[in-house]
Amino acid sequence: MGINVGITGLHATDNPAPGIGVIRSLKHPEGWDGEIIGLAYDVMDTGVYDENLLDHAYMIPYPNSGTQQILARLLYIHSKTRLDVIIPTLDSELALFQHLEPELRKHGISLFLPDSIATKRISKPNIADFCKELEIDTPKTYAVKDSGELDKAIKEIGYPLMVKGAFYEAHKCRDDKDTINYFNEMRQKWGYPVILQQMIDADEYDVCCVGDGKGGMLGALPIRKTRITDKGKAWAAITLKNDQLFDLSKKIIRDLKWAGPCEIEILQEKNTAKMHLLEINPRFPAWIFLGTGANQNLPKMVVDLALGKDVQPLPNAKSGVTFVRHATDLICPIEWLEKLTTGGELHY
Amino acid sequence: MDSFLHSEFTLSESGFLFDHGTGLTYTLNETGRFIFQKIQDGSHANNLVELVTSEFEVAEDIARKDVDDFFRQLKEARIIH
Repeated sequence: MGINVGITGLHATDNPAPGIGVIRSLKHPEGWDGEIIGLAYDVMDTGVYDENLLDHAYMIPYPNSGTQQILARLLYIHSKTRLDVIIPTLDSELALFQHLEPELRKHGISLFLPDSIATKRISKPNIADFCKELEIDTPKTYAVKDSGELDKAIKEIGYPLMVKGAFYEAHKCRDDKDTINYFNEMRQKWGYPVILQQMIDADEYDVCCVGDGKGGMLGALPIRKTRITDKGKAWAAITLKNDQLFDLSKKIIRDLKWAGPCEIEILQEKNTAKMHLLEINPRFPAWIFLGTGANQNLPKMVVDLALGKDVQPLPNAKSGVTFVRHATDLICPIEWLEKLTTGGELHY
Repeated sequence: MDSFLHSEFTLSESGFLFDHGTGLTYTLNETGRFIFQKIQDGSHANNLVELVTSEFEVAEDIARKDVDDFFRQLKEARIIH
């Protein structure tokens, strides 16, 4: 019997969610022995219309709809299409799935997630304290909890600086006008705190890691983005062999006893070559399919971990493997939209 | 000599150079490719002028200038320490 996997984060635009990359990884190279169930928040989440990737698509309520409503919906889906494993791929839904995990497990639905203490330690407002504890360098960061603190934060950090939302988005600011505008925008979109962070002249690297939950790092995929969009998202990237990145990632995973996937963003200062931890995203990155070319199929590993299998660390990633993102169009009959809109589910 | 290089590099026949540590790529001309290959092979910096002189049949002062210029560029690009 194959393993059925439910995956969220299916909206793949110029700011793509990671779900599509996760599904493509699971199906690489010869398909998936089980069914892939897309869990969508919006009927226009683009990935639900890819019949070559999904076997089923179900609408689910947004994370802020309340845990009981979401649990009920997931159990309804499970009653119709068995869910063995769920891989949530969005920052904003992690706390919800952490909360629901024991109940879902009782019904035979497995997840492999970091604990809430680890995720709190690496949240954007707390990352500076985390770096201090581990004696890791990080750009000067200020979590602004009300507009009265803004002036003080600007003075402490200086220009240029980044204004970041609590969950998503980052904007470069060169003066007070920019900072105030983006501060208000981030506050309205994502709530407090709004993060102000020093900009340093540095090269940026990312490492996608999977931790075993006991301090071990089971896989690591270090990359440099070689083309980015105006939102700073990777449109092309290349895999690396870099001991400094690997060692820093290992140190972080060990200290957090991280379970499951994360994306560690690291800056290397141009003048000093010093490594700075920028942030840690508690999920797969959207570029995760690149791992399939570098002997790091990390989504498959996470399914095995969720199922409680014994998983051994992978050898180092192959360096010099690149991806280039390529936008394409899906042609869909109107009935697909109709079924999702009126019935909340679609079966290919 | 390889300890000059800050990470692992792959140099192709066409002169395309890939830095495995940073992901950056460079294109070297024929002379650059020859010198870089000798660096990777462990040739000592002092011998490079002689090697270039004999390979390309150029005067020693021209070879020295080329080697010095190339080393300066490698340092600027943080390829060698």
